[in-house]
Amino acid sequence: MLEINGLVKHYKDFSLNCSMKVEPGRITGLVGENGAGKSTTFKAVLGLIRCDGGTVNILGKAPGELTTEEKRRLGVTLAESGFSTYLKVKDIVPVLDAMYPAFDRSRFLNLCEKHRLPLDQYIKSFSTGMKAKLKVLVAVTHGADLLLLDEPTAGLDVNARESILNLLREYMEENEERSILISSHISSDLERLCDDICLIHRGSIILHEDTDVLLNEYGLIKADEEQYRELEKEHILAVRKASYGYDCLTDQKQYYRENYPGVVVENGSLDEVIAMMTGGEEL
Amino acid sequence: MKGLLIKDAEIMKNQGRVLLLLVAFAVVFLGMNRDMTVIFIVSYITIVLSLFTASTVSYDEFDNCWLFLMTLPVTRKRYVQEKYLFGILLTLGAWCLANAVGAVLMVWKGMSTDSLEWLGESTAVLCVAFVFMGVTLPLRLKLDAEKAKYINLLVFILVFGGAFLVSKLVVYVPRNIRQTVSALFGDMGNQGILLLSAGIAAAVLLVSYGCSRRIMAQKEF
Repeated sequence: MLEINGLVKHYKDFSLNCSMKVEPGRITGLVGENGAGKSTTFKAVLGLIRCDGGTVNILGKAPGELTTEEKRRLGVTLAESGFSTYLKVKDIVPVLDAMYPAFDRSRFLNLCEKHRLPLDQYIKSFSTGMKAKLKVLVAVTHGADLLLLDEPTAGLDVNARESILNLLREYMEENEERSILISSHISSDLERLCDDICLIHRGSIILHEDTDVLLNEYGLIKADEEQYRELEKEHILAVRKASYGYDCLTDQKQYYRENYPGVVVENGSLDEVIAMMTGGEEL
Repeated sequence: MKGLLIKDAEIMKNQGRVLLLLVAFAVVFLGMNRDMTVIFIVSYITIVLSLFTASTVSYDEFDNCWLFLMTLPVTRKRYVQEKYLFGILLTLGAWCLANAVGAVLMVWKGMSTDSLEWLGESTAVLCVAFVFMGVTLPLRLKLDAEKAKYINLLVFILVFGGAFLVSKLVVYVPRNIRQTVSALFGDMGNQGILLLSAGIAAAVLLVSYGCSRRIMAQKEF
């Protein structure tokens, strides 16, 4: 569906250099702190910026070569962009009808009603949550094969986020060949939704792992100075100094639980992995 | 392209109150001013309404909508084509409306005019509106809203200021040159001058379209 190889984009104070893949039938999460390069990656994938190197292959082509027909197979939401807020929802229905032959008008209208999006109000009067829901509804109702969702749940309360995640789950259940690339700051959303996670830091992908592996095999070792000295370092990915000694991120927590019974080994969470991989010291 | 045309039409419909106010202002202005010619009203309505084409680019730019629009099944080339098609349709529509308003006002105020002369002047106004569209659209695509506002103002000042200067300085041009030019336009006749105006407008639109295509092709969002 999507493959990025050695994509390079230089700005005055930032450089993107990333490689990643989104396989058919999978939801891939892209996480990283503000300014890590998530939005730049989306822009590059969509051909909205010129790249300085590397290749992007989306639906079998470079972004700039996608035809109108091929662009119809994409559903996109961008963090700070959407339809003009001087339009009403009822105004964008004929626009979508004209642009997407597979646009499911009645489903879109039903979903608008279900999510309490008024058809006759200007989008500019919508709350952040309503705008976010509208963007996702537009993306999922025209039979796209690949969704590219940049921060679709940013700034939303827990209920609004859950309803958006449910929309995405329904979208995937309709066709098992579909794929999603989704970025978010909220790691708990991605933990529950994604099949695999890419962690981007300072413009580079520093980790790409299945979510199940992250949650089941990664762990956080809390060791004092002496315990840390005796630890086998081969399976430790990152270390961070703590008041009691060291926090160590491992991708083999069972190994440490079995061989170091006196050491505290906590289950891994995406938040811990992000904090350790981006803030810890690599061994 | 149809989707983009609908989008711009919907935005125009939603913002139509402002445009209708402009038309109403023109009608009231003529009603109150006995010296105002109908052709002034036709020019005013046609040019003011046609400038809305450049405003649709501002609506696309506002809130970063451009970014999202380019992810829809729309190529950059189609986007530019849609703007020119929308502009031409809007200008023609505005011109028809302006002439209808002009005709109603003439009947209402009991004014009379030579219909051929009116048609000629009115067609020249249409050409001027297309030239304005041709100048403002690429500038609007190239520059952000704030800069484009000043550049548009500068274009207006240059065009009208230039015309004013030419009309004042023409007396200093040697008589034989003036006579030659005058004879040239005289030989062309009204039809010839109209054809020349139409040719200039078409040429400006073509060059403008080429510039806009290049600007959009190089644009980073």
